Amino acid sequence: MDPSEVEFLAEKEFVKIIPNFSLDKIYLIGGDLGPFNPGLSVDVPVWLALNLKQRQKCRILPPEWMDVEKLEEIRELERKEDTFTPAPSPYYMELTKLLLNHASDNIPKADEIRTLVKDIWDTRVAKLRLSADSFIRQQEAHAQLDNLTLMEINTIREFLLDSLNCMYKLRSNLQPGATKGQFADY
Amino acid sequence: MFIADIKKDFYDVVANQRVALLVAADIDALCACKILQALFHCDQIQYTLVPVTGWQDLSTAFLEHKEQIKLLIKEDDDLGVPTYDDIFRDEDEEEGEDSGNESDEGSEPSGKRRRFDEGAIERRIERQRAKRQWEARRREILFDYEQYEYHGTSVSKMNCREKKSFIHFGLDGYVAAMWAIIGLTDQWVHDKIPHMKYVSDIATVQRHVSRHNHRNEDEENSLSIDCMRISFEYDLRLALYHHWSLYESICNSYYTACSFKLWTLKGQKKLQEFLADMGLPLRQVKQKFKSMDTTIKENLRDVIEESSNKYGMKDIRIQTFGVHFGFKNSFLASDMVHAAAALLESTERDENDPTDNFIKALDALSRSHLDRLLSGIDLAKKKLIAIQQTVASCICTNIILSQGPFLYCYLMEGTPDVKLFSKPLALTLLCKYLLTAFIHSTRNKRCKLLPLIMAAPKDVEKGTVIVVGIPPESETSDKKNFFGRAFEKAAESTSSRTLHDHFDTSIIELKSEDRSKFLDALITLLS
Repeated sequence: MDPSEVEFLAEKEFVKIIPNFSLDKIYLIGGDLGPFNPGLSVDVPVWLALNLKQRQKCRILPPEWMDVEKLEEIRELERKEDTFTPAPSPYYMELTKLLLNHASDNIPKADEIRTLVKDIWDTRVAKLRLSADSFIRQQEAHAQLDNLTLMEINTIREFLLDSLNCMYKLRSNLQPGATKGQFADY
Repeated sequence: MFIADIKKDFYDVVANQRVALLVAADIDALCACKILQALFHCDQIQYTLVPVTGWQDLSTAFLEHKEQIKLLIKEDDDLGVPTYDDIFRDEDEEEGEDSGNESDEGSEPSGKRRRFDEGAIERRIERQRAKRQWEARRREILFDYEQYEYHGTSVSKMNCREKKSFIHFGLDGYVAAMWAIIGLTDQWVHDKIPHMKYVSDIATVQRHVSRHNHRNEDEENSLSIDCMRISFEYDLRLALYHHWSLYESICNSYYTACSFKLWTLKGQKKLQEFLADMGLPLRQVKQKFKSMDTTIKENLRDVIEESSNKYGMKDIRIQTFGVHFGFKNSFLASDMVHAAAALLESTERDENDPTDNFIKALDALSRSHLDRLLSGIDLAKKKLIAIQQTVASCICTNIILSQGPFLYCYLMEGTPDVKLFSKPLALTLLCKYLLTAFIHSTRNKRCKLLPLIMAAPKDVEKGTVIVVGIPPESETSDKKNFFGRAFEKAAESTSSRTLHDHFDTSIIELKSEDRSKFLDALITLLS
């Protein structure tokens, strides 16, 4: 999966905006989007919010988890624990990037939020690498990791699966005379 | 464009149609174009952008597009617009179409085209008679009106002012304010508006900007550093000094160079005294401004203001705005004007398309093309150095001659950088600096009140020169320029081959052979 595909999936998440135009309820295939009235907040998917923002037709409100104190707590918790703590949002990395690139004037303390989210990401990916490393080294049969987000899984998926494939081939070659001549060129 | 106040009327009319935007080649028009483009993007209005450099271009472009468009938007800060009624009328007459409507809507032409109605011949004749009478009266009025050409409120500022009615369209007033500021500064830099008007216009824009700034900064500066900030500055009048070294900037800004008379040895000494007076070591002053010692940079403006008062430069500081985004990028409005003007008229490569330069200059004004802006600043530095050297050589070799009612100067073909001065904006800038320098260097009281006409070779193969006239320098001038009419009359009376193509009627092209008789005619006309 491409990271841009993950971002595309992330754009389906809902976010609150305050439009400055009025429009009746619209009926889309994915669902209905409530009537738009200037000055009243309404929930829309991120793709629509960004489009409206770029056309200067709305103001985006930061999601609840995008707050400096909350993110600081999550970061401290993440650093303390050995396992993964629940992420602020299943698409926290993509949403941060999208919202801070296009609507940073609507989000207070945008620079600190960017730093905090990056810290959380770094900690989690480091834990993931450590865990994958120990999995391969100890040649475990199965493992379970909770609270991973799609972006993190996507980061490690290709490498982990390829390395497990290589390990399998190496292991199967050790068996005397078993798969001689059947070695498919990888 | 003669829409007086309510832009809402104009915008609503335009909103559902396809628009052709004909933009003149100067920075104010570029800024207004940017504002309109932003508006059109937000509301998804289709538009065609056509850069034009003169009346001929305008009519060609109009003829090319006339099949598809009904309303023309021409951007020019000069109020000589009515003439394009002529374009409408002439070619309609050629086609023999029923264009009677247009005589009624003199100042807001919306050229509605109707099919030729064969049964209405009598009506047509009657209308044509009425039209001829109307036209004769109109010509009279126009002559009086166009006799003195001057620049009205900056177009971009007008656009920005009507922002209030745009708020319900949701236009981001802040970015539009930036372009309005740049358009206004362009008028000031190229000396198109008097100082008083500049100050009052700045005050109006300052109100808009501070309103927006207050809205954003309620909780302790919580805005991201990447957002664009406009700040009001009472900054020095040294061109490009943030991107150059302080020494170079003082040497190449016309205000300081003329006050110190830097083309003389005495002037150079005075400059050294001035720097010593302020306590700035020469080594610091000659290195790039950004790498100067921070202790020196802290009080620089006040220190310079104090010292310059002693040396007779009372107006070294001017009210202006600065744009900041990110940690590294901060530009004053005049920096952007110089950069965009240098890009618009760059003679770097031989076969440069004017449209190419136009697009480059337009890019430089937007935030996402910083490298363009920086290259524009480099070009502007070269241009300023060239101007300064030319001024110095002109004054030292005394090629400014007093012809009676005006001063005259001709740039020979062998002058270095003369290609730079074949463009109208650069030549006007040179003219202005030369006049100020001349006034500072001459002792003749009468000469100080004379206007200046300057000629420079424009196209060597075709043998044409470009001629620019600027009004005399005075404290309270309202910058009205009568040379447009004067040039036309002189050309008529001597039947010289001239081209009055430029939107600014005080800039014309002339065949070099006709130069002397044209001048003689001018002398007799103006004395």
